[in-house]
Amino acid sequence: MPVQPREEMVSVGGVRAHTLIGGSGEPLLVLHGAGGPNGWRRWHAALAERFTVYVPSHPGYGLSDSADWMESPRDLARYYLWYLDVLGLDRATIVGHSMGGWTAAELAVMNPKAVDRLVLVAPAGLKPERGEILDIFYYPLDQLTKLVYHEPAQVQEWDELFGTPPTPEQQDLAIRNREMSARLTWKPYMHNPRLPFFLPRVTNQTLVVWGSEDRIVPVICGEQYARLLPNATLKVFEGCGHSPMLEKLDELVALLRDFLHPSEAARPVEARS
Amino acid sequence: MKLYWFSEMPHHVFDEGEDLKYPAMRLEMPNTYFDRDVAATNYHHYFDEHVLADEVGFDGLMINEHHSTPSCSDVSIMMSAAILARQTKRAKIALMGNILPIQDNPVMVAEQIAMADLISGGRIISGFVRGIGVETWWANANPVHNRERFEECHDLIIKCWTEPGPFRWEGKHYHFRHVNPWCLPLQKPHPPIWVPGTASPDTALWAGRKGYTYVPFLVPIPIACELFEFYRQGAAEAGREVTPDKLGFLLCAVAADSTEKALEAGRFFEWRMGPTTRGPTEYFAPPGMRSRAGQRMALRTRPPNMLTMSYEEKVANDLIVAGEPEYLVERFEHFREELGIGHLLLQGHESKMSHATTMRSIELIGKKVIPALAEA
Repeated sequence: MPVQPREEMVSVGGVRAHTLIGGSGEPLLVLHGAGGPNGWRRWHAALAERFTVYVPSHPGYGLSDSADWMESPRDLARYYLWYLDVLGLDRATIVGHSMGGWTAAELAVMNPKAVDRLVLVAPAGLKPERGEILDIFYYPLDQLTKLVYHEPAQVQEWDELFGTPPTPEQQDLAIRNREMSARLTWKPYMHNPRLPFFLPRVTNQTLVVWGSEDRIVPVICGEQYARLLPNATLKVFEGCGHSPMLEKLDELVALLRDFLHPSEAARPVEARS
Repeated sequence: MKLYWFSEMPHHVFDEGEDLKYPAMRLEMPNTYFDRDVAATNYHHYFDEHVLADEVGFDGLMINEHHSTPSCSDVSIMMSAAILARQTKRAKIALMGNILPIQDNPVMVAEQIAMADLISGGRIISGFVRGIGVETWWANANPVHNRERFEECHDLIIKCWTEPGPFRWEGKHYHFRHVNPWCLPLQKPHPPIWVPGTASPDTALWAGRKGYTYVPFLVPIPIACELFEFYRQGAAEAGREVTPDKLGFLLCAVAADSTEKALEAGRFFEWRMGPTTRGPTEYFAPPGMRSRAGQRMALRTRPPNMLTMSYEEKVANDLIVAGEPEYLVERFEHFREELGIGHLLLQGHESKMSHATTMRSIELIGKKVIPALAEA
């Protein structure tokens, strides 16, 4: 029986983040991408066997409060540092996907001590040395879905996620999510030109995960992250698009289990020059 | 009721169907189709048409601005305003309008409008628009800030015209440490402000609150009435009276020596009722650009049946008014009665309509329509 989450509204500076919380053990925070939250997924449940997994919807997304004053993932990063304070967590393992990966990187740059291990899954945030990050706002949502996944047949949860047409309420939420993503990432589009200068500060053990067929954020960005972060390893899944945690569910869960040793995760981070 | 001449200055020089090779004509059709020689000639035709409209008695000349599209080669409303300010003598010059949210320097916009007003002898009508999504892509302005930037840009322009400098402006989107424009409009305190609308109830409400003239563009009469209701609601909130002078309407119209010739010319207007607006919703309304209310309204203002309507149906529904001058007088009277408007803006040229046909239409409207409307 997979671990089931409970729901909480976590109030940070008066802005409440709708959060799914499940499992037990060391804290692990999951930050979703620009497409918005998509509930408690199997990979969350798998991680919840060893961790207390927090899956918030960012402000402006899903059932969370709005935060129209935010301007970039740097604001989200500051929000989540405060969020950890509110939850009484000195530090947590952070797993971020896409825009959420960018946010995780910004958060780690701001305060590496608040981060245990860092997992960046196809993170935005860096300008690709070759190619471009796909302009997600230029495409209708149905076309975008086709671009996100390399091979829908390998998404075990496809029917749960896309099997039924969205209700009007879900459509409204999708529009709201998209607006917030535009607010946070419009210009410079999906990257922070100053991030590369700060990434070397983050000496935490870091896993960077990518799909070889990612059509949203080019895989070269993974090489850039792995080069700039002193203790990062890049793992590229062949035959996979922008969402390895859905397209390569079992492989990703196995990879994360290897990387996130709870016993070792508790040891202090060594300072590096 | 005052009559205004308008041409969008299209650059329709490619074969039928070429645009269908791309997701949309705007943004996506490559500018390798742009014909520099034709464009150089067309600009002169377009300005000659405006000059003739001034001579034959139109009350005003409307100009607008778009980018990344063959549907409009007027890429600088201020440059056109400057030309018309010198080349025309009496008609108002209606800028419909400066696209405020994509402006980075509202002070310069205020200065340029003032300069055009001075050169034209106080004939500028200053329209302000939020722009369609295409211009937001073109300028790479964040669409979620569109309304905020529209209002703040407007506020700073008005302050430039109404309050002595130097002053400082520290807003949310605009920051100027030293504002002191040495160029102020001839009209005091500033040129009349007009606001076009196609869908947004928020814009209609805002224009009503401010007391600006509100002009729905190319929408069916029932939608125009609905938008005017929002306008009236805004005006009522601010305790303002709504006179016909505050309401305008834009439609497509062409006059010719025979009904047959006019109906033939009128077909060119179909171009803007489908082909030029074809494309993904995202191009015209990127995320956050429209409020939810605006999105719902937008779905109704461009009814899908406009795309499937036959030409005859468009004429029957007054989306296109094409006929002999007497017919135009009759239809324009109808619009005045139905909508209670004080300004009727005529888009009189479109697509590949010839310069000769356009000039003849202007001449006929000047000779027969304008005097007849003045008598009515």
